[in-house]
Amino acid sequence: MYFSDLGIIALILALGFAVYTMFVAILGATREIPQLIASAKRSVLTVSFFLLLASAALAISFLTHDFGVSYVAQHSSLAMPWYFTASAFYGGQEGSLLYWALMLSIFSAIFVFMAKRAPAVLVPYVLATLMGIETFFLVVLATVSNPFVRLHVPLPDGVGLNPLLMDPGMLVHPPMLLMGYMSFSLPFAFAVAAMITGKLDSEWLRSIRRWMLVSWSIQTTGLVLGAWWAYHVLGWGGYWGWDPVENAALLPWLTATAFLHSSMVQERRGMLKVWNLSLVIASFALSIFGTFEVRSGIISSVHSFAYSAIGAYFLAFLGIVIVFSIGLFIFRLPKLRPEQEFDSAISREGSFLLNNLLLVGVTFATLWGTLFPLISNAIRHETLTVGPPFYNQVDGPIFIVLILAMGIGPLLAWRRTSTRALRRNLGIPALAAAVCAAVLPLVGIRDIWANIAFAVCSFTAGAILYEVWRGVRVRHRHGEPYPIALYMLFERYRQRYGGYIVHLGLVMLAVGVIGSHFFQVQQDAVLKPGQEINITDHKLVYFGNIDTQYPDVEIVTAQLQVWRGGELQQYIYPGRQLYRSFADQPASLISITTYGLTDLYVFLANWQGPSQATIRVFINPLVPLVWLGGLVMLLGGIICWWPARRKRRVDVIDAIPKAESEPVEVRVVQGAGVVHGEEDAT
Amino acid sequence: MRKRRSFLLALAVAAIVGSIWFYVFLVKPPQQTLDQRVHDVASQLKCLVCQGESVADSPATLSQQMRGIIRQQLQSGKSEPEVIQYFVSRYGDRILWSPPWQGLTLLAWLVPIALLLGGTLLLFFVLRGWHTQSDCVSPGDGATGTDVRHEKDMEYYQQQLEQELAAEDPIFATHLPNIEWEAN
Repeated sequence: MYFSDLGIIALILALGFAVYTMFVAILGATREIPQLIASAKRSVLTVSFFLLLASAALAISFLTHDFGVSYVAQHSSLAMPWYFTASAFYGGQEGSLLYWALMLSIFSAIFVFMAKRAPAVLVPYVLATLMGIETFFLVVLATVSNPFVRLHVPLPDGVGLNPLLMDPGMLVHPPMLLMGYMSFSLPFAFAVAAMITGKLDSEWLRSIRRWMLVSWSIQTTGLVLGAWWAYHVLGWGGYWGWDPVENAALLPWLTATAFLHSSMVQERRGMLKVWNLSLVIASFALSIFGTFEVRSGIISSVHSFAYSAIGAYFLAFLGIVIVFSIGLFIFRLPKLRPEQEFDSAISREGSFLLNNLLLVGVTFATLWGTLFPLISNAIRHETLTVGPPFYNQVDGPIFIVLILAMGIGPLLAWRRTSTRALRRNLGIPALAAAVCAAVLPLVGIRDIWANIAFAVCSFTAGAILYEVWRGVRVRHRHGEPYPIALYMLFERYRQRYGGYIVHLGLVMLAVGVIGSHFFQVQQDAVLKPGQEINITDHKLVYFGNIDTQYPDVEIVTAQLQVWRGGELQQYIYPGRQLYRSFADQPASLISITTYGLTDLYVFLANWQGPSQATIRVFINPLVPLVWLGGLVMLLGGIICWWPARRKRRVDVIDAIPKAESEPVEVRVVQGAGVVHGEEDAT
Repeated sequence: MRKRRSFLLALAVAAIVGSIWFYVFLVKPPQQTLDQRVHDVASQLKCLVCQGESVADSPATLSQQMRGIIRQQLQSGKSEPEVIQYFVSRYGDRILWSPPWQGLTLLAWLVPIALLLGGTLLLFFVLRGWHTQSDCVSPGDGATGTDVRHEKDMEYYQQQLEQELAAEDPIFATHLPNIEWEAN
């Protein structure tokens, strides 16, 4: 008996319990038998227990180097340090699917524990949907993609992990991204439950919004970590290459972002129900597409680590998801009528519609570009790929308009805005944009698109900061010192100000992207000792190569001096790592030094003996802002979904009837609280 | 009077920015270095021996040679499109990173643009439809009474708050009439 046998048994038991949950939950809901629903809840916990057991079995197989297990033999070796051996768990297809299934079961278990907060009618259907998805993954894991398959003859040593994956990024990026894909299951389950029961009220919306915010935060983290990994490992000086797999990860993030905005319209005005449901379904379908695309190898990509024939299974599953959702949708359509009518295009609702149009436009353009090789192949039997220039030209302008809308949108009132109020609100941000547009060309920014983009970013940043400042000032006038006023704004109106933080983070990220896209400087040189590269105001002097031999790896580094503005800054050692088992794939050790907001990115492209090196240098302005912006966005996301203490909610609810019963003059005094509480209070 | 002043202010700012841009981008158009031009051309071409990398980014030998050819041709006075055309005539359309604006690949460009325009148009009509509907429906319809009253109160607060803010705002500090908002 090996641990892998235990793993197989656990997988099959988990599958059994997942199927059982589905039937019992639906039966319990239709016959209204609470005992059956309670049994379904316990059964979900059992599924996650068995999946934990199966994952532990795989992890132990890795850590004890059980090379009798085919998956372990193909993805690890004796020489690997223990943390890479452990992370090889999700280094291949079987393991990453097991990880997906494990995370889904854990999130389902979390849902079971928090089920008291969700509308009771929905719970059994949510459980059934989640376990339906789980069943698919478990079937795949138990049959075509089983991580526990044993070899007839155990190998003495494993093949090892692809060198590109032997990086600290490996420890955090794939688990985050896979978890992100998985997490879209929960909003989807809520959507299915709502369509079956017909209960799409504000309570439902609150639950689904919270889960979608969680998914959004995880996916944001996964995307930023992926960009960071690419920047540190791939050596082409960038962090986002519009690679099909990167696109696939971006797509559900875009539709989730669209949902988070348009659902506010439903929350406030009871409109756009149909549209919101479609966005939730689209997010889930796109996340399955993303999981499937990486696996199938139908589109060539730099992420070609895991190919296999299970693409067909995923395609079938995707088909079932789409057909099932559309079927339910049509069945439920008569109930999805808007509760209120639309008033004016110049209103918050109007700006959310524009936001959705643009986000869905980007989603579609990106999906279209990603699938274009397949489409062109079907039409003309010629695979025509679509590269970064296409996405930059199509998606770039849409993003700029989106950022502009992000600045104007929050300034508009619900229903309709008086143009005078709008003009006054726009004054300061417009001034910020004008200053930016006037100063930047004079200090040497000579690209017209970069200038437009920077002006838009400063407009939006100005609008957000001005809005926060006004809130602080109003509170201050009611007797709070400035720092406390700022803190109270965030404490009381989390969703609103958390959202502003996210927007600010996105603006920072955009500034970083614009800077590195338009002003990256690149230089290649073949150097002999004593020779130098001059690039902008940096000078690199080459000394020679250092070759260090370890039992399993050989490391070659080039030694260079960095001079900046005539002063010696430091020595840097860009290099390559040659693993014995993957001698033809030298992993790169890229030297990235940050001076202020500029990255000096040095890559050892090639070398000859101890005294010749081909060096590629990039000056990447503003890239640190991309990481900083990502962090700020994550922070804002967490502020938004962090559960408010119960007491707060009572406070806000108390405030409303009071406001309605008292005369106008009194209300104005507490006006700030009520106005800024609008997102929370309703 | 106040309206005119802020209008003039906006006009002056626009004129200053406009003249700077006119001077910087039209009178003294930016000169690109040879390195930048090589990089621009190379990033339009796909590295044929790599997975998903452009000639500009790829460290492969073939790409290095191609960058050399691009540099030579640009130095000998060819324009960027001519250099790209040279590579297309040798390798075919598949070397291009972005699909050309012709033939089948025109589809790659037109479909997203058409859909976006279609979406904008749809949005416009939907908005207009809603707008005219709400003109004949009295504001109290469609929702519970308290909700709408609450809504109106909110709006009232917002206006009051904004007026209050404007009164202390150095930039807009002029007298405002009492609350009589044109709701357009």
